[in-house]
Amino acid sequence: MALAVETQDLAKHYTMGQAVVRALDGVTLTVTRGEFVGLLGTSGSGKSTLLNLIAGLDRPTSGIVKVFDRSLAGLSRQELSLHRRKNVGMIFQSFNLIPTMTAAENVALAMMFAGVPRAQRERRARELLEQVGLGGRPLHRPSELSGGEQQRVSIARALANDPEILLADEPTGNLDSKTGHEILALLQALNANAARTVILVTHDGSLASRFAQRTVTLSDGRIVAESRS
Amino acid sequence: MMLADTTQLALRNLREAVLRTSLTSLGVAIGIASLVGMVSFGVALQDQVLGNFLRSGVFDSITVTPALGPMARGRGRGNAAQRFREAIGPSREAPAGVRLDDDALRKMAALDKVKEVYPNVRVPVEITFGDFSEFSAATGVPMSARGEGVFQQITFGRFFPNDSDDTCLISLDFARRISDGKPEDLLGKDLTLTYASTGGPAQASPLGLPGGLNIQRIEKKFRIVGIVERQAAPGPIGAMFAAVMIPLAKARQMGTYDLSNPQGILRQLTDKGSYTTVTVKVRRPQDTEEVEKKIRDMGFTAFSIADLMQNQKRAFILLDLLLGLVGSIALTVASLGIVNTMVMSILERTREIGVMKAIGGSDEDVRRIFLIEAALIGLMGGAFGVVLGWAVGRVINRGANYYLQSQGAPAANLFLIPWWLVAGAVTFALLVSLIAGSFPAMRAARLDPIRALRHD
Repeated sequence: MALAVETQDLAKHYTMGQAVVRALDGVTLTVTRGEFVGLLGTSGSGKSTLLNLIAGLDRPTSGIVKVFDRSLAGLSRQELSLHRRKNVGMIFQSFNLIPTMTAAENVALAMMFAGVPRAQRERRARELLEQVGLGGRPLHRPSELSGGEQQRVSIARALANDPEILLADEPTGNLDSKTGHEILALLQALNANAARTVILVTHDGSLASRFAQRTVTLSDGRIVAESRS
Repeated sequence: MMLADTTQLALRNLREAVLRTSLTSLGVAIGIASLVGMVSFGVALQDQVLGNFLRSGVFDSITVTPALGPMARGRGRGNAAQRFREAIGPSREAPAGVRLDDDALRKMAALDKVKEVYPNVRVPVEITFGDFSEFSAATGVPMSARGEGVFQQITFGRFFPNDSDDTCLISLDFARRISDGKPEDLLGKDLTLTYASTGGPAQASPLGLPGGLNIQRIEKKFRIVGIVERQAAPGPIGAMFAAVMIPLAKARQMGTYDLSNPQGILRQLTDKGSYTTVTVKVRRPQDTEEVEKKIRDMGFTAFSIADLMQNQKRAFILLDLLLGLVGSIALTVASLGIVNTMVMSILERTREIGVMKAIGGSDEDVRRIFLIEAALIGLMGGAFGVVLGWAVGRVINRGANYYLQSQGAPAANLFLIPWWLVAGAVTFALLVSLIAGSFPAMRAARLDPIRALRHD
C-alpha cells in the first residue's frame, strides 16, 4: 500500500546550554495513505517534534522523513513552504487563529498564500465552515466563538488547500471532553469519508485508541509501543 | 500570493495600530516636508537668478562678433566665462580677415535652423527731454521682437506700431528718472535724440573734423510709445544699458558714430559696412549649440548665454543637493522611526507569522507583507509631507514678503515646488521606507516557525 509518511532513524537534538536534549532519538515509522494514526506519549516524549518534522516546520538532526515518497531533507525553505501549503493541514491545541480576522477570513488566509482568487476562496471558506458545522457563523471573530467552534474553524483552515494529510497536535487539549469527542469525531469522518490521512498527537491513550486505527507510543524520543485498535 | 492580497494584509496590519501608523507617517511627513521646503527654496532661488535670463528670451540667440585673431583661434578651449569676457572685452586684435558685413549676415541667415539674423545696432546719442540731457545709446530693436523676451510684458503703452515712424520705447528706470513720479504720463511725449551722420540734409551742422569729412549733428524727435520694466538685452553685449529703444530700421539709418568720441568715428569710417555684433536667433533653444559651431566655422566669434548658464546651472544643482542633504536629516531620523515601528509590529505579530508559515506562507510572502507595510507608511508620509512642506513654505513666504515689501523690495516667490519635486519627494519617501523596512521584513521572513508559534 502507498505510504503517506515514512521516517527512518529520525533524530532531532537540541542543545540547551551544555546539555544535549534528544527530543527524537531514532524513530522509524510508516503511515499508509488514508490511515488514522494516534501518536501517544507524555509531555516531552517527542511526539510534537515528530509532527513538526513531518509538517516540514523543522529539520531533523539526522535520519530521513519522506512524505509521499519524497524526502524533505533536500527541500529549500521555499519548497518546504509549498509542502506545508499543499500536502499537510495543521491543527493546533491552541487553535492559532488570527484574532483580528473573522472565521471565514482565517480559512481564506491559507488559500491566499496559494494564490486562489478572492471570490473563489471566499466561496470555499464558507463551504468548508459549513462542512465542519459552522455554517452560520462565518463573520464571527475567534473571540466570539467557543473553544470547540474555534477548533472547527482551524480544521476548516487545515482543509482549505485540500491536503491529503491532516496533522493534529493535541486538538482536544483546550476543550472539555464532550467537545473534544466531537472534534475527534469530525476528524474521524474526514478520514473515513474523504480518505485523508490523519496523524493525531495526544497524551490521552483512551481517546487515541477510540478514534485512531493504530496508536504509536513514544517515550524519550523513541517508539516504545505500537498497537492496532 | 497575489500583490492585492499582500497589500490587503499590510493595510490590515496598519489599521490595527492606527496611532502608531499615523505617528510614524507623521515622522516621515515632517522629514519630507523639510526636504521639500529646502529644495523648493533652492529652486526658487535659482528661478530668481536664472529665471530673469530665461524670461528675457536670450536662450535662442547667439551673439556673433568678428573673429578676434590669435585669441579666437584658441576658441573652444577656454570655458564659457572666458569666451564671454573675450566677446565683451575691447577687441585687442585686429579683425582677422572675415568681415561681419551684410554679406556675412545673409550667409548666416541661410544656415539651417536659423530664424533670423540682425545686427545689434547701438546708436550713440544725446538724449534730451525738457531740461534733462545725457549721453547714452539708443538700441535698435527688430520688429520681430514684439511679444518676445522683455517685450512680453510692456508696463505702459505698447510695442512700436511699425518701423517707419519715429517712435521709441524706454526702460522703466529711465522713465522714472526723467518723469516727475508718474512714468505713464510720458507716453505720447517726444524725446529728442541727437546723433552724428555722414552726409544728410537740413539741420545738420558740421563738426569740424579734419580731412574734410562731412559729419553732421542731427536732432530727431522720437515719440514714446511704451515703457518696459527691464531693458532689452538681445545678446550679452547688445543693449544691456540701453535706456532708449528704437526700431532697428531707424537705428541702421542713423549709423553708429559716437558724437562724444571723434577718434572712434574715424576708425569706424575706415571699417564701413561691417558690424561690431550681430544677433542670430535660432528656431529652438536646443539648436543654439549646433548653429554656434557653424558660425565659428565661418570664422566668427560666437557666444550664447546658454554657454554661461551651463556653469550657473551646475552651481545651482550643487546648492539644491546641499539643501536636500540638510533637509534629509529629518528624513533619516524618520526612517529610524519606521524601523522601530516595523520591529514593534513584527514583535507583536510573531505568533501570527508562525501561523502564516505553518499554513503555507513562504518567507517571501511574509517579507512582502511587511515591506508593503513600510512602503505604505512611506507613501502616506511622503504625500502628506509634500502638502505640509508646501503649506509651511507658503506661510514663510507670506511673512518674508511682508518684510520685503516693508523694506521697499519687490515681492518674490521664495518657495517653488515644481512637479518633479512632488514626484521625487514621494518616490524618495517610498524608497527610504523600503530601505528602512527591508531589515525588519527580512527578520520576519527568517523567523523560525516553531519558535514563532510558541511566542505569546
